[in-house]
This record gives sequence, C-alpha cells and structure tokens, in this order.
Amino acid sequence: MILRMKFNMLKRFVYLVALLAAPLLSSAAEGTGALFSKGNDLYAKGQYKESLAAYQQLIDQGYQSAAVYFNMGNASFKNDDIASAVLYYEKAHKLAPGDDDINYNLKYVNLKTTDKIEEVPEFFLSRRWHGFILSFSTGTLAVWSIIFVLLGSAILALYFFAGSVIVKRASFYGMILFFFFGVFTVFVANRQLSYFEDHPEAVVFSPSVNVKSGPVDNANTLFVIHDGTKVNVLDNSNGWTKISLANGNEGWIKQGDFKEI
Amino acid sequence: MIVAGKAFGQQPKFTASVDKNTMATGEEFVVTFTINTNGEQFNPPDFRGFEVEGNSSQSSESIGSTTSVSISYQVQLLAVKEGDFTIGSASIIANGHRLITSPIKIKVIKGRAVPQNTQPQSSAPDNGIQHASATDLSKLLFIKAIVDKTNVYLGQQINVTYRLYTRVNIEQNQAASTPELNGFWSEDIKQQGGQVPMHIEVYKGTRYEVADLKKTILFPERSGDLTVDPLAMTFIISVPVQSSDPLAQFFQDTKQEKYEAKSTPVTIHVKPLPDAGKPASFTGAVGSFNMESSIDKTELKANDALNYKVKVTGSGNIKLLKTLSTNFPADFEKYDPKTTDTVTENENGVSGSRFYNYLLIPRHQGEFNIDPLNFSYFNPATNRYVIVTAKGFHIKVDKGPNESNVTAFSDAEKQDIKMLSKDIRYIKTTDNNLAKNGDTFFGSIGYWLLLLVGPALCYGAYVYRNKLIEQNSDLVKVKSRKAGKIAAKHLTNAQAQLSAGNVSEFYENVFTGLYGYLSDKLNIQYADLNKETIESSLKDKKVSGSLISRLLETLDLCEMARYAPVKHISQQEVFEKAKGIINDIENEI
Repeated sequence: MILRMKFNMLKRFVYLVALLAAPLLSSAAEGTGALFSKGNDLYAKGQYKESLAAYQQLIDQGYQSAAVYFNMGNASFKNDDIASAVLYYEKAHKLAPGDDDINYNLKYVNLKTTDKIEEVPEFFLSRRWHGFILSFSTGTLAVWSIIFVLLGSAILALYFFAGSVIVKRASFYGMILFFFFGVFTVFVANRQLSYFEDHPEAVVFSPSVNVKSGPVDNANTLFVIHDGTKVNVLDNSNGWTKISLANGNEGWIKQGDFKEI
Repeated sequence: MIVAGKAFGQQPKFTASVDKNTMATGEEFVVTFTINTNGEQFNPPDFRGFEVEGNSSQSSESIGSTTSVSISYQVQLLAVKEGDFTIGSASIIANGHRLITSPIKIKVIKGRAVPQNTQPQSSAPDNGIQHASATDLSKLLFIKAIVDKTNVYLGQQINVTYRLYTRVNIEQNQAASTPELNGFWSEDIKQQGGQVPMHIEVYKGTRYEVADLKKTILFPERSGDLTVDPLAMTFIISVPVQSSDPLAQFFQDTKQEKYEAKSTPVTIHVKPLPDAGKPASFTGAVGSFNMESSIDKTELKANDALNYKVKVTGSGNIKLLKTLSTNFPADFEKYDPKTTDTVTENENGVSGSRFYNYLLIPRHQGEFNIDPLNFSYFNPATNRYVIVTAKGFHIKVDKGPNESNVTAFSDAEKQDIKMLSKDIRYIKTTDNNLAKNGDTFFGSIGYWLLLLVGPALCYGAYVYRNKLIEQNSDLVKVKSRKAGKIAAKHLTNAQAQLSAGNVSEFYENVFTGLYGYLSDKLNIQYADLNKETIESSLKDKKVSGSLISRLLETLDLCEMARYAPVKHISQQEVFEKAKGIINDIENEI
C-alpha cells in the first residue's frame, strides 16, 4: 500500500514538473525556428550577409540563444568582420560557457585580431574555480539542481519509511549527499551569473582607439587598441568608459568605440 | 705657327666648299676652306643657322717639279633649322692680298628634330668651341643613365643603360663601381665580347663618342618612388691646351687630367598592382606569360614516381616566379619542384622559360585527379590580370608491390593524419534553447517552485509516516482490529473443507479460527489460551454470559468432533454458530 502511494506521488510529481517546465524548455514559436533554419541554409550557400540578416531578425524579435549567436559569429567571421565575430562569440559564450565549439571558434578568431595582449596569469586556484563555474550553462545547472533535490527528497522519503537499519543508514547519507549536490549546483549557477554581472565586458569596434588617461579629450594617450579587442568595463563617466585590458592596463575610451557583450 | 711654304708663280687661290648642299635637319656636313699657299689672319664666316660640331685643319705638301702647299680648314656643321641658308665669305690674307671665298647656299629640309642648344657657343663658334673644352669638362665627358620608362607597375621590367658620352680622348679608365640599386632586382645584360663598342651620337646638338658601359634590366620590388643609383667611373683624359688660333690645333698640346664622371640619379615611379580583379592564384608575376603542363604517365603503380612538369614561358620577372599554387591529391607524396630556367636578357627585356618538375609518389591505389593548374600574371601593357590554365590530369594508380596484403600490424604502415588547414567550426544546425530575452530558466519562478517540490513532498511523506506510526503505536489495538479478519480467513478455509467433506479438518479450522481470533482479540498468548482464561477475560470485557456459554459450548463441540463423530448437530450449523459468535463478540467489544 505504501508502495502504491509512492508510485502515485511520483506520477503526480512528473505531471507537475512537465506542467511547470513545458513553457520554459520547449522552443519558441514556429516562425523563429523557420528563421533559424533559413539563416543556416543561407550560410551553407555562402551568402553570409543574408544569413546574418536572418539571424539578426531573430534577435530583433527578442529571442536569443547560444546557437544563434554562435552562427552569427561564424557568418561575421566569413564576412571578414572580426570585431562582430568576437562580439557574437562572446555573447554565445556567456549563454553557454562550457560549449566546446564556441570556445574553439572564439580562440581561433582571437588569433586574427590586431592586438596581441599577454594575459596576466590568474592565481591557479581562482583560474580553476572560474573554469569550473563556467563549464556548464545556468540552464543545465538549474535542471541538475532540481534533479539532485528531487533525488535527495526521494531518498529522504525512503529513509522515513525504511524498515531495516542498513537501508535507513544508507538512505540518510545518500540524502545528505544529494541535497549537498543540489545546493552546490544552485550555488555554482548563482556564482556564474554574478561572474558575468561583475565582469561586464565589451569589444572594441573602431579600427583604432586611443586610450586616454582620463575621461577628457585632452588627456594623454596611454596606448592604442584596435578593433576586435576585448576589454573589461570598469566605470562610466559622461560619455567615457573606463576599461582595462587582460594585461592589466587601464584607461578611458569613448562610449561609441565599443559594444558591450 | 702657320705652316709656310713657297709658291712659285702660282696664283694664290682660296676656296670654300661643302660636301653637300641639300640636307635634312639633324644631318651633319663639312665646310672646307682650302688655300694653296700660306695665309694668315684667317677669318671664318658666320655660321648662323647651324651648329658647329668641330673643326680640324690639314695641310699637304707635294714636292715635285713644282712644290705646292695646300692648307685646308674644315668645319663640321649640324643643320638645326629648316630653310635656306647662306654661308658667308671667309677671308684670308696671302702674299699681301686679301682673298675671300664665295658664299655657299645650303638648303635644309625637315628631318628629325634637333634640340636647340642654348649654349652661346653656337652663336660664337670661332672661340666658343675652344673655350668649352677648357671650361666645362662635364660637357665633354659624362655618363647618363637612360631608362626606357619611368612610370611602371610593381614588378614591371625597366631597361637601364649607363651610357658614356665623350668628346675627349680617354687615356685610361678605372672599372665602374657597381650601383647598388636598392629596391630593385636587377639582371645585367651581357655585352658581346669584352669590348665596349663605340659609336657616334648627337646629343643636344653636339657630336659625342658614345659607349654603353652597362645595360641592366630592373624589376622594382616595392612601390613608391625608387631611385636608380648613379654609376661613377674615373677617367684619365688628355685635354688640349687652350689655344686661340684655330690652325694651331695642328700642333695640339695636351695635358692629362683625372676626372670622375657620375650619372645623375633617375627616379622611377612604381605603382602598386591594382587590387581590383586580382586573382587568388596571383603571386606577383608581371609581364606576359604562357603555361603548359605535362605528365609522364597517367597510369602507374602505387609507390612509383610520377613526373609532373609545368613550363612557364614569356617575358617578365620570370626568375622571380614563386612556386606555383599546385593542388595535388592530398594522398600523394610530393616533393619541392626542381626548377630549370632558360632565360635570356637583352635590350627587349628578360624572356625565356622556366620548368617546374614536380616529383609525385602516389602511396595508395585509386583514381586521382590532378586539378587544372591556374597561373595568373599582371600584364602591364593592358593593365589587366590574366589567368592561364594548364590542363589537369586523371591518374590511375594500381596496387603497388609494397602495399599488397599486409597482414602483420606494424607501426610503419600507420600514418599521421595531416592537418591541411585550419578553419572555424561549422555553425550549429539545431537550436533547442531559443528563448525570449531574459527568460532564463535559472532564477525564474517556475525554477524555484520546481526546486521546492522535492522538500514539499518530503514534508508530506514525513507527516504521513507520523500518522501511520501513531496509528500503529498500540499493537494490541491493531491486533484486535485485525482479529475479525484473521478469523474470517480461517472460517473461509473451514467452509472449503466442509464442501470437500473433510470433517476433521473442518472442525480443526473452525477451532483454530476461534482460538486465533480470541487470542488476538483478548491479547492473550496462544499458548496461555484455555477455557478458563477465555471465560474470565471475556467477563472482564463485559461480554454477556449467554454468549460466553455459547462460545464455550462451540469450542467443546469442535474439540470433541476432532476425535469422535458428532451426530446431534450438522457441520453447517456449527459453522453458522461460530460465525455468529464472532459477529456477536465483535459487536459487544
């Protein structure tokens, strides 16, 4: 009898999950899917500009996904627009940080940019940690956290009803483990979100940008960067933005010279 | 200073003559003044309308029956302007008489244009010639760099000739310094033999002895204004000592002088090759070319060698040709081509042919195609890029001896996969995550609700379990609650035995059914159960006496019936009785 009841609970629960998750996980309206495959077809034919326009239409309608940005990056690259390619790949990277294809193309396209910037080596623990929290998208982490919590709950229920001591003990530790995983995945997803929020980045679009020592026109030019270079956005002040490069250099550039990721 | 001779009974005669009366502009002619005796105070006429190229004097003496002396003075003139001219009279004093020549009419027709010499020496030839030699050696001896064009495309060939102009006697010269020619790739034209041939050339209206010191073909290697470096050469020359008397040149005194002649630098404007229409296969060939390809066999065995030959012929920077953009099957082993040049350099530029011999070794059997080879060049004459294509080949490779049936595994047969090129990865063709901006699953209300489902269900399970525990905490209650059901089960068994006709089993079942029921109901251990305990505990539970006696009676009956047949009551009645008792007890407790 207990078993049957459990089974019923599980069934009801599955329905509930399906009900809640359906609108979130299913793909958007059919028109968008058609636009996406239209862009893909044009890309396959080598009409990169037209394909880019099709993807852009999707974005203009308010949709976004890592795949769309990735394909836009590819089309821009084939159009020899390196700066746009970097921007779109970075956007795609933000939505799906662990995607192999995106990271590969981003690395490849960064070889083609003008500026060669030596990154300041990060402390190895913090580098590992960032690599870890960026290895899955928040969507994936969210699904996993739900699965972990549900499994933990199921095992806890087993603990409540278990007769034998061995099952009780095993289910207790299993419950703790799964709940820990669940909380941990939520934490990682949260860290990932705040990592991107705390590190706003931008891509330089002007062919040559003088980086000034202050947010005024007559400030000294500290160095010059070129299109396609990724910068960290630190501060804004009436039309000027304080940026820093991966090598640690900081300065001010005008807001029209870059696009935020 | 004047050559003297004696004339006996001879009329002094002074004449002027020209070698031709009609000529085209640019042609030279000689005016000769001759006197058959000694003369002095020679006064040449005005050579207006002509340029004086040079002069010389001659004297001859014939001694026979009569001794005669003849002195002639020759002036070389260049016709510059067309029209009719008259060379006026010259005068000389001989034997105390003043002699004059008759004027000579000259007709000049249009010929090649002659640059007017603005130097004053043409208007004052009598002393100008003499002075020029003394004042300005650079007019008498100089080197000129002559280029055939100054406005060229990158890689287009230019002929440069370093030409020596001289009007003086060169005693000795030192080897020319080789100009560095930065920015050019140069190719010297070899002169026939070691000798530098001399010839006469008129430059700016003046006759020079001319020699081509060096001829070079230049290929500009970068665009912009490039300078053709000067060529310098040191000469030791003999210069005539200044003299005012024209006839004195017969006894010309000379002195030696060292002089360095240097050509003036020439600037070449090099245009970059146009970007418009530049073919992908273009590697910098400029000129006019042709190409053909050949192959020594189209069918061969694997691991045999194949020779693929390409011949590029034409004129232009043929020695600067880079390797061809060949496209062999990737599975062919290919070696760098052996190139053979057959190139001639002459005044028309560099031309010839270059052979590329590619050695190819197919390693595996199959059908392969060698794609048609494209070669493109820029033709500066038409300002266009031209693509020439050599034909492609189909190669059939049969199984070679080494490739056959290798059964043993060996590392040597394995090949590394070669990376031929790098490219970005292809676009994603499916997209399951298209969502409205900001609609991320993580952090949405639905997400948190789903996350709470697990703990909520757990709580439900916890509450439910507690309720169960509470219900099951009183074991006696549970047992007594279940007693009726267990008794019913035994009675059902009994009924089955009854219909089967097993009498003793029937009674046993009824008996255990009742006993078990009472044991559970009254919470008495089965072993402790007997009539006394049953009676007392039923009484405790306030069960009516008649019911108790009915129960005890039935129990007795069952006990008895197990060992001896019972006649006064039917089995069916016993069964109904037992059922009734259980029902009554259930009702009363």
